[in-house]
Formats: sequence, C-alpha cells, structure tokens
Amino acid sequence: MEGPPVGSQSIPVSENASCNFTVTMDDAGSSSPAVAKLRKLLFRRMLIGVNDGRYFLGLFHCIDKQGNIILQDAVEYRSARHSAPPTEQRCLGLILIPAACWSSCQVDCSIDEKMSLLCLE
Amino acid sequence: MSALEIMDPKMDSGIERSQYNSIEEAIEDGVAPIPLSMDRTLDVQCSIDVMDHLFSCEATWHKGHTLAQTVFTCIYLMRMERTSSHAVLNSFCRILRATCNAIISVVSTARTHEEEDLFTMSFGLPLRDEGDDKCLSILNSVEETISRQLRACKAQAFSKKKTPEDLESLQNNPDMEEDYCRAMLCRLRFRKHFYHVVMSMRKPHGRGLELARKHVASCLTELSLMLKSREFLKSQSNITLQDDENCTTASGCQPVGFDVSLNSRLLSPTPPRAVKVLSWSNAIRYFEKLLHDLDVICALSLDPVLENVLRFIVQFQKSVPDLVPRAFLQTLLVQDGKLYGQNLFSDVISRALSLPDIIGDKEFQMNEFVVQLGQLVINLLKILCTNAAWQRRKLGKSLQDWSTISIQLELALKREFGETRNVLHHENMCMRVSKQLLIWTQEQAYWVASRFLTLGFELDLYSPGEYCMVYWYMYVVFTKLIEKMQLRVLSSSETSRRKGKKKKDHSKDSVRDTTFSSSCLLLQCYVLLSEGLSMMLAVLRNESRSFQLPSIFNSEQERFMQHFDLLQKARVPEHISYYSFKESSSQAGITDLMKYNFFREIQKIIPSLRGSFASQPEKLAELRQIEQVAEHNRIALNIISQVGPDDPSMRVSFEFTHHPHFAVAVVKRS
Repeated sequence: MEGPPVGSQSIPVSENASCNFTVTMDDAGSSSPAVAKLRKLLFRRMLIGVNDGRYFLGLFHCIDKQGNIILQDAVEYRSARHSAPPTEQRCLGLILIPAACWSSCQVDCSIDEKMSLLCLE
Repeated sequence: MSALEIMDPKMDSGIERSQYNSIEEAIEDGVAPIPLSMDRTLDVQCSIDVMDHLFSCEATWHKGHTLAQTVFTCIYLMRMERTSSHAVLNSFCRILRATCNAIISVVSTARTHEEEDLFTMSFGLPLRDEGDDKCLSILNSVEETISRQLRACKAQAFSKKKTPEDLESLQNNPDMEEDYCRAMLCRLRFRKHFYHVVMSMRKPHGRGLELARKHVASCLTELSLMLKSREFLKSQSNITLQDDENCTTASGCQPVGFDVSLNSRLLSPTPPRAVKVLSWSNAIRYFEKLLHDLDVICALSLDPVLENVLRFIVQFQKSVPDLVPRAFLQTLLVQDGKLYGQNLFSDVISRALSLPDIIGDKEFQMNEFVVQLGQLVINLLKILCTNAAWQRRKLGKSLQDWSTISIQLELALKREFGETRNVLHHENMCMRVSKQLLIWTQEQAYWVASRFLTLGFELDLYSPGEYCMVYWYMYVVFTKLIEKMQLRVLSSSETSRRKGKKKKDHSKDSVRDTTFSSSCLLLQCYVLLSEGLSMMLAVLRNESRSFQLPSIFNSEQERFMQHFDLLQKARVPEHISYYSFKESSSQAGITDLMKYNFFREIQKIIPSLRGSFASQPEKLAELRQIEQVAEHNRIALNIISQVGPDDPSMRVSFEFTHHPHFAVAVVKRS
C-alpha cells in the first residue's frame, strides 16, 4: 500500500482492483462478496493519491468496474515543495478520478473491518 | 452528475504541470533571476523582453482573461520585493500593477464585466503594496537616468573624443547604447503616460479629460517608437526564424521569469480556460485602438442635453469599442446618480421637455414620476454603454418599464385634470408639464424600440425572409417617434408663445428649431427607407414568391412574435399586431410601389439636410450612406418593374453594403 499513513489504517485496494472484482449480478441485483465489502465502505472518508503527487480527501461516493472513483466534497492537498508533505488545500466538491490516474487509496475504518477486509487479497 | 474530472486539462486547474510546485521553488531554480543576466547588455535585452511580454499579457487580460493567467504569470510581479535592486524592472512592475489596479476599479464600478470576462477577481494575487503610491516618482527617476545616458552617448558620438565618464552607461556595448536607451525609454514613457491617462480619466466630473487627451497623444507617440525599436531588437537577438504574428516580444525571444501554471490554483475551482497570449503586434494594435477610443471619450463636451448624449453614445458604439473604454464612458456619464456627477437627472429631464422654467423646481424634482424616470434614464445610459448583444437584450427588457410609466402618467393625468376645462393658471402649468412629461416618456420608449430593432441588424439576428416584417415594424416605430417628437416641440413652443418670449430667447429657439427639424427630416428618411424596403420585399414575395419563410418549423406569425414579443407586450406601439402587418403586406403591389416611390422622396429631402449637417462630419457620412442606399434601391426598383417582379430569370438579394441597417437590393439576371 503506497502513500504515507494518515492516522487511520489502510486497507489494501491495489491498482489491479478490476481483476479483484468479478461482478456477477443476477436479476435481484446481488453481487459477489468483494463488491458487497466495497459497498460497506461507501460514504466513508477516502484519501486518494494521484499520479502527479496530489492527494484528494473526500467521501467515497461510487466506484465502477474499471476502478474510476467519485468523491464527494473533495479537498485537494498538494505540497509547496517537492520534498515537503502536502500542506496547501483547495475545495473542489464532486470529483471523478479515472482509474488510470490514481495510485493509492485509503479508507477510514475500524480494526475489525481491516481484518475482515484483509482477505480481499 | 457534474463531477470535475481530475487530470483532465479542461476541468482540473490544479494539475501539476510545471516542474515547480511553488514560486519559491521556481525562484530557487533560477527561473526569475535578478539581475536578469550578469552581462549588462543581455540584462537590458532581457528586461525589454519581460516588458514586452507583460505588455502583451496586459492586452490579453483586457480582452477577456484572468489576471492570474496573464499579467501575473510573471514571477517578478508576484514577488515584487526581489526586484528592488533592479531599478528598471522594479519601476516598470510597480507602475504596471498600479495601472492594473486603477483599471480594475473603473471596470468594477461600471459593473458590466461579467458579460465580458475581464475578470476583476484577483483571488489572492498581490495587487497592492504601500510602495505603489510612489510608483510615479520611482519611474521618473529611472527615466531621468536613462535620458541622461542617452544624451551622454549622443554627445559622445558627436564629439568623437573620450569624455570622462562620470555617468555609467546603460549597458556595455557603446555602439548599441543609443538604440537600447531609446527602446527602454519609449517603453517606460508609454507606461507613465498610460498611467496618467487612466488616473486623469478617473477624476470625477470629467475634470481630467483635457489632460488625459494630452497623455493619450504622448502614449500614441511612444507606441510608434516602440514599433520602430523592433527592427533593432530583432537584429540583436539570435533567433533567426521569427514568426511576427506569434511572438509576444519585439525581439522574438522568449522572456525569462514567466510560468503559466504556477498560478493556476489561484483561479476559482471552475474549469480553467486555455489562454493564448496576444502577439506583440496585436497588443500594439489593441492599445492603439484603446487609446483612440479613450480620446473620443475625452473629447466629450459634457453637454447636459440628453439627446446629444444619446447621440454621442450611439456614434461612439459604431467603432465597436472594447470593455475598458466603454467602462470609462459609463463611469464618466453616470456618477453619484448624476450626469457627469454634476447634473441632477430631474434637471436633465426638464431640459429635455423644452420647459426651461422648471429646471431646478423643487416640486418637479420630488415628483415620484420624475424620480422614476430619472432612474430609467440612468439605466438607459448604462445599458447603451454595454456591448451590442447585452445592450439589445437589456433594451428589450427595459421597454416594459418605459411603457408602464407612460401608462401610469396617463392615468394620473386623467385623474388629476380629467375633463375639467376651467382650471386655474397654476394648475394649467402643472397639467402642461404632466402632458409634456407623458409625451416625452412615450418618445423615449419609441427611441429605445428603434434602437432595439436596428441593433438586430448589427447582430445579424434577422434572416432575409424576415426583413419585410422588420422593416415594416421599423417604419411603424419611426413614424410614431416623429409624431411624439413633433408633439413635444409643438406643445413647448405653445407654452412659450403663451407666456410671451423675450427677444433673446428667439435665437435659441431658432437654433433648437433647426436642429429639431433636421432630426425630424433624418427620421423621415428612415421612415421612407423602411417603408420602401418593406413594400419592395412584400411585392417580391407576393408576385415572385421569393423571400418566403420556410414554414416547416415556424409559421410567419410565430416568427413575428419571436422578434417583436417584447415590443408587443410593452404595447410599443399599441394596436399593432401580426394581422396589421399581414394586411398591409399582402396588399402591396408593384404599381403602388412605383407610385409612392419612397426612394425618390428621400433624394428630395437630402439636399436640405446636407445644409443643416454641414458642420457635423458623422451626420454627413450617414447622409451619404442613406443617399447611396436610396439611389441603388431606386434603380433596382426600376429594373424590377420593367422586367416584372414575377420574371423567373431575375434574382434579387439584399446586402448591407452601404448602411448597416438599410439594405440595398441587388438584381441579377440569369
């Protein structure tokens, strides 16, 4: 899991997220256990690291099969210097981060949930 | 769902595009060195490049972009304190910043900029500093130094002997000293004079206009000197292939110290716009036009006669001025709710009513209708100073206000003076004033309607199939306008006749009468042109079935409503509907058209008008245009009647080759 720890512990949602989610939806709309676990993480605070070095903190609104993520009330964090930690922030609102652009992802959740999510790998 | 897509350059203004995360990082890496070069000659060359690029950025900003993406992409400007050791750059940056501030305040006061995107929001840019008040004196001292250097090197060239140099030269190469000094001086002087123009024009009550004119002339001189310096600067740079139309500096070199993306997050989170900085040649052209437009405004005579003010604005708008001169004009005309900051609008209205005795009359000033009308006139002046599209939209909407007030005036008149015939003298005066006010208000409403209709031609809003109805409506509106004008002047002369005029007022009267009669005659020309064109189009449609409107989506009636809905709702004029138009146009026949021969009537009026307009070149120019239109249309009409309007080999098109509003018929035989 890349990126600096932010206080809450991270769950491993890796770059090849798409191959972890084999979505098999039947008519009733139920899906695989992986998707169900991800559903539980909806609307939690999520921190996403983007390829150019910025971070976005927002509420996890939705994700699709390809791994594109939408965050609500997002705040952008960037560093004023290459070596320094991110300090400047800017409010953006509703944003879409394409799958190809994000490199790291952390969600606020308790330790128990972490344990249960570990078996996602 | 409208989510901003991250890493999409059109939506994400914060993409880390620059190799620097902050200005400090860029400075540390030497992006904006002070001095610009250790070699003094190179330092001068680079400083001139920075000045030129800032000049182009300033023009780009005026044209409609944010400060952060134009002028403030300059790191020297963002960290002004670093330049304190470099006198030339420091003084230039300071006065540029002070000028930008002044322009922002004028445009913000005028409040029409949201339509045109000269963003006045600075989003945290360092726009102000205590040192800026002294920017002029700093600049003057730098200018003085360089002037002395120029004089010294010219003296040396003449004397051809080495004089003891107690004065340090601008740069190292003595052969180029004179040219570099000149190039530097004209740029500094342009900034100084432009600053003076802006500050003088901001003075209230139009006090600084004459001084501003002098500085405008100096600015234009310095601009031409800047253009002249280009050849020398290009020869000194080592760029061989120089694309004149794209480079933002005179020399063609890229300037140091600019980074476009460092400020990108100082914009609002809305999608960023790509900004292409104007080329240096286009920037010069922009400033030349700007200065000419400002010069026209400075020549304003502060005439309190409303009719003349309206005419001035309409004439000024013909040159399509940009936002900055229009903002200056508007802030000059309307200050503190008074005309030029000096004349109360109630006095302006009473003068317009041709009732000189009530100027300054307190009861008149306090009258609720007069107060409302004053506000309407203020709005009208502000609207007329905006760009054509915005102007037309707002004029159309304001028609309702004018119409409402005239209805209220009419009702009040009936209520107060009703059917009574035996009135006291005082009440008689009141009634006359009220009647005059009503007539004047109606006249203004028709004036606004006529401007609304003619602006449609400038904005290309009418298709050829609609010209017939547009000219018909114009004919109706112009006729009503003349009617109201004549009523107004008639009742004012009646009033003065009853009171017994003194001798000295007769000359003023005759002057007013001639101007009035010439305005009337000009309007009569408009009426004849509109009527003639409308009838010609109707005949062509009736007899040859050309100029029909395609009826697949909209019927002609729907088109009529689309164009004239605002006028109809405001009942300007009353009792006019699509059916009136249909009736008159369906009866149009070629014999009637030849019988009335509107275009020949115009040619009869023009000679007398030419006499009265002898001293007014713009009026004479329009008269020539009208003459051309009338003549060409008369000839076209003759051809059409000879050949027969239903001849299939004949094709008639309408072009605006002579007058922007009145088309000329072009007949082609195949």
